[in-house]
Amino acid sequence: MSDAPLDFQLRHDLRTAAGPVTMDVTLRLESGSITALTGPSGVGKTTLLRLIAGLVKPQSGRVTFGEEVWLDSEKKIFLTPQQRQVGLVFQDYALFPHLSVRQNVAFSLKKGEDQSHVDELLREVELTQLADRRPHQLSGGQQQRVALARALVLRPRLLLLDEPLSALDRAMRQRLQDYLLEIHQKHQLTILLVTHDLGEIFRLADRVVEMENGKIKRQGMPEEVFAETHTPADGPAIYGEVISRLIENDIVTVQALVDQRIHKFRLPISQATDLLPGRSFLLRYAVDAQVVEVLR
Amino acid sequence: MNPEPLFLTFKLASLTTLLLFGFALPLAYWLAYSRFRGKVLVEAVIGMPLVLPPSVLGFYLLLAFSPNHFFGDWIEEIFGLRLVFSFPGLVVASVIYSLPFMVYPLQAGLQALPVSLREASYTLGKSVWVTFLSVLLPNAKSAILTAIVLTFAHTVGEFGVVLMIGGNIPGVTRVASVAIYNEVEALNYAAANQYALVLFVVTFAILLLVYSVNNHLFRVRRPA
Amino acid sequence: MFIFSSRDLLLLFAAILFLAACSKPNDKVVVATAANVQFVIKELQKEFEKNSDTRLEIVVGSSGKLTAQIREGAPFDLFVSADTRYPQEIYDNGGGETAPKVYARGALVLWTSDSTSTPELQILANPDIKKIALANPETAPYGTAAVQVLEKAGIYELVKGKLVYGESIAQTTQYIATGAADVGFTALSIVLSPEMKNKGRYVKLDSATYAPIDQAAVLLKHSETSPKREKSQEFYDFLFSEKAKVIFRKYGYSVK
Repeated sequence: MSDAPLDFQLRHDLRTAAGPVTMDVTLRLESGSITALTGPSGVGKTTLLRLIAGLVKPQSGRVTFGEEVWLDSEKKIFLTPQQRQVGLVFQDYALFPHLSVRQNVAFSLKKGEDQSHVDELLREVELTQLADRRPHQLSGGQQQRVALARALVLRPRLLLLDEPLSALDRAMRQRLQDYLLEIHQKHQLTILLVTHDLGEIFRLADRVVEMENGKIKRQGMPEEVFAETHTPADGPAIYGEVISRLIENDIVTVQALVDQRIHKFRLPISQATDLLPGRSFLLRYAVDAQVVEVLR
Repeated sequence: MNPEPLFLTFKLASLTTLLLFGFALPLAYWLAYSRFRGKVLVEAVIGMPLVLPPSVLGFYLLLAFSPNHFFGDWIEEIFGLRLVFSFPGLVVASVIYSLPFMVYPLQAGLQALPVSLREASYTLGKSVWVTFLSVLLPNAKSAILTAIVLTFAHTVGEFGVVLMIGGNIPGVTRVASVAIYNEVEALNYAAANQYALVLFVVTFAILLLVYSVNNHLFRVRRPA
Repeated sequence: MFIFSSRDLLLLFAAILFLAACSKPNDKVVVATAANVQFVIKELQKEFEKNSDTRLEIVVGSSGKLTAQIREGAPFDLFVSADTRYPQEIYDNGGGETAPKVYARGALVLWTSDSTSTPELQILANPDIKKIALANPETAPYGTAAVQVLEKAGIYELVKGKLVYGESIAQTTQYIATGAADVGFTALSIVLSPEMKNKGRYVKLDSATYAPIDQAAVLLKHSETSPKREKSQEFYDFLFSEKAKVIFRKYGYSVK
């Protein structure tokens, strides 16, 4: 597969609940990377996805994918969503209510086109058994998998996901994250994913971009963006969320959720002052000792 | 009782509904999704037949369709068709008169669909046209049915406009509603009752059929 | 959203009561008038009210509709019809004080809004003439008369396909006046009315070629004690006075 980074530079006026905001974003997504897009509601994350997919025309800008020019407002180039063939998974899934699961997934194929890819995708997301059901007969997680499979039928090289897992419970979320990672590996996709979930960011994303008021506030690797101190990345960092803590003498016992499992850590009180229930942290194993960084 | 006025009524209503459906669908689509500012103006104009008394509308259609008027003259020259006192004229008038009854439900039905359905179809490579036919229309079935039934029923019940521009010609423009009026005028109340009864029974049967089919086809969906 | 307090509602209710109390029972004489007589009736009203304290209210409609309304108890005092059949019908059903009486005889004209040519019966069969308007012969006496004229002239079958029917003489007039129909049959009283005078051209048709269009009025039944009984009688008598006859003649009616 050729190296095809997505480059864009977009300017677009937004009407948000807090008044008009001009979005001005320049960004590159490396080929095959997973980028998480985060930030408070109403800063234009969804609009950014729609701009990249071609569903909205920006006031000005340029979007290129590898050699292809998707948008160039100066040269008056604008490729329609149909021409861009981006995989887009909507927040509300946008499944077609009148079609079965199989028909939804096969929707983008032309009449008489080979269906074997559809079968394969249904198998990948474990929906073969439910292929004849209608969307309204499925659970949220199942619907999400249909939407994912449907977005992949045309073998897009770029997959955009708008808070795909926000409506799902924890266990389902993790399973879908696994699907996503599998699919990413298998199909060599470049992924841009809107999410608010720190766990999801650390689990999936190579890079994270934080937006505020239509602008990029910060970007980098997740631990760079979210850790309070910028310690050099020596050794792997583990993301966790504090559930409870118990102080005995000078030792704090913290129960935390790491990778969907509960772990216990014992830390000197000096390191654990900010580790209150609900906070997120990064645990690093340095050469001599473990270091805990509390995230904002 | 002469069944001709009843046939004429149902012929007029079917033809009007058919024509109007073809004409109103693109209009409703445009009204539902366009961001054009002058749209409200068009919406208001379409709604005028709801507000104007039928006799007023009928009078102005009579003026416009008259060969003395440039519109009526133009139609006569181009199509060799005189719209006053003719069945085609009744169809044209009914199309105008029943326009809001077709357009508004269709527009509302399309607007009620989530935008993401359309957008999903576009990103899956389907054109606006294919999206309209294979995504939007199937999901607006209920609205389509409502629009068709309302238009048909409204045309069956139309009186003022038809009386005004039809000229009450037996077998051509004397539809059931006019025939009933006629019989009342002629003090033949028994004949008027017969027409009215048939009209009532047939339209009630149609509505009953349509709504029971509707209930059967589109039962309220409950998520699993 | 407007939300009414109970005080507002009380005020509203009081206002409605007040308005209701203000509208006294109508002491005007209500004259149900056939459409083709409306112009002449308005002039008669003017003349009548000059010399009387009685005031009139004119309700215009088609004779058939007015008949149906009178049968169902509409509060009319007098019915001035365009023919003799409807008043007779009412009298036969016990709705009249006295038997209906003919107040005038109407005349039929052939009329066109095109002022460049004089209409004639002979040209009706010409292909240039596409539509001929007349009042519905089943319900309107002027329509019946028009059919008789056509039959007598031997062209009824020839022009049958061109005929369009107005529900009343008023609508027939409208068809001709707007040019929707090329030519048509209407009442002389209408083409002589101030509203239609000098519009287009007309010819009076030979009254020997159609049955007389006698127009009758009937005094509607009142209770013995009704205060309007006498006033209604007053206008009813006026209809047959010499003064009224002058006005009827002015509008092209013939009177005895």
